[in-house]
Amino acid sequence: MLALETIDLNGAQSLFNLSNTLNLNKVLPNKVTIWKLRNNNPMRKSYINNNIKIEEFDCLTKLAVEMSKDLYPYIRVILQSRDDFDMNPEAWNDFKKRFLELIHERFNINSMRVKKLLDKNGNDEIIIKFLLTLALCSSAEGYQKLRTSLLDF
Amino acid sequence: MLQNKLLFNQSSVSLEIIGLPDYSNNDNKSQISIISQWKLMIIDKPLIEGNIDHLRSIMVAFYSYSNFLINNDTACYESQFIDIKAENFLTHKVLLKSSKPDVKPLNIKIGNSVLADIINCFDQFNSSSKVKKVNSVVLKNYPKKGLLKSIDKDKIFSNLLPPVLSLCTLLFVSSTFIYLYNVGEDKDEKVLINLN
Repeated sequence: MLALETIDLNGAQSLFNLSNTLNLNKVLPNKVTIWKLRNNNPMRKSYINNNIKIEEFDCLTKLAVEMSKDLYPYIRVILQSRDDFDMNPEAWNDFKKRFLELIHERFNINSMRVKKLLDKNGNDEIIIKFLLTLALCSSAEGYQKLRTSLLDF
Repeated sequence: MLQNKLLFNQSSVSLEIIGLPDYSNNDNKSQISIISQWKLMIIDKPLIEGNIDHLRSIMVAFYSYSNFLINNDTACYESQFIDIKAENFLTHKVLLKSSKPDVKPLNIKIGNSVLADIINCFDQFNSSSKVKKVNSVVLKNYPKKGLLKSIDKDKIFSNLLPPVLSLCTLLFVSSTFIYLYNVGEDKDEKVLINLN
């Protein structure tokens, strides 16, 4: 979701609008609920273990898939920019810069997993993995694919 | 008879489906139920085409490979017609093997963006109401990684068997000695009683 928020500068609002469009209001009635659920990520600075329920997890997964469908052209441009890095590095560099800034801002940088994300020598592979997963899940069966992947993580 | 053509585009990839409607099934004129030919066009790469069986196996290959990538498995798919392997995190090697005997296999290298486009094209094709579904890859329920995956039953058995056996032997031997009649101790007690 942080990768999606990196692309969409108004990500929090877009997620809430999308939850309204998908009729997920019962589980995600406002932006604060979405924020609280996102804080279940142990890598976050504001990590709170709320014991996320399965329907809340499903709603967040649906939001991520729908948002990656909307943002697919941008995700593709960033992936292509990394593929042709010598010719066109701008999109990749911009994305990576903002993504790392968001990680610094919101994640616990003392955590080993976050340190791995911030490691300039090896983080390209991890970031590409995130983007490729989002790109491959932006389809009709994307929700099922992403859900299986996240439950397996 | 004029054949119908459908084109599915996604940035650098186009999938063209050519075929006929199945009138015995009351299909529309624009529908394609019998696919006679297909073409997969990727910018800067050779044209890929074939019959319905080739399309089916190519779709299964790409969907399975993408599922391996999403699920952090070893990204490698091999079949009779097509092999896909990850060269590194940026490039994927696709080897297309022709069913004709004298045709050499075609080796193509694609990037992540092209891979995503191919999957997107196949998704459009799968979800189109104008063409009969060719393939539906069933998502496997992969077992959970981490603790459960790292547990190897044979390894546990071979590691736990020796200490369990030795403990059992020790218990058996020590319990046998506990119930043995201690003759010397009994004699000393009798002497003490007589002295009193």
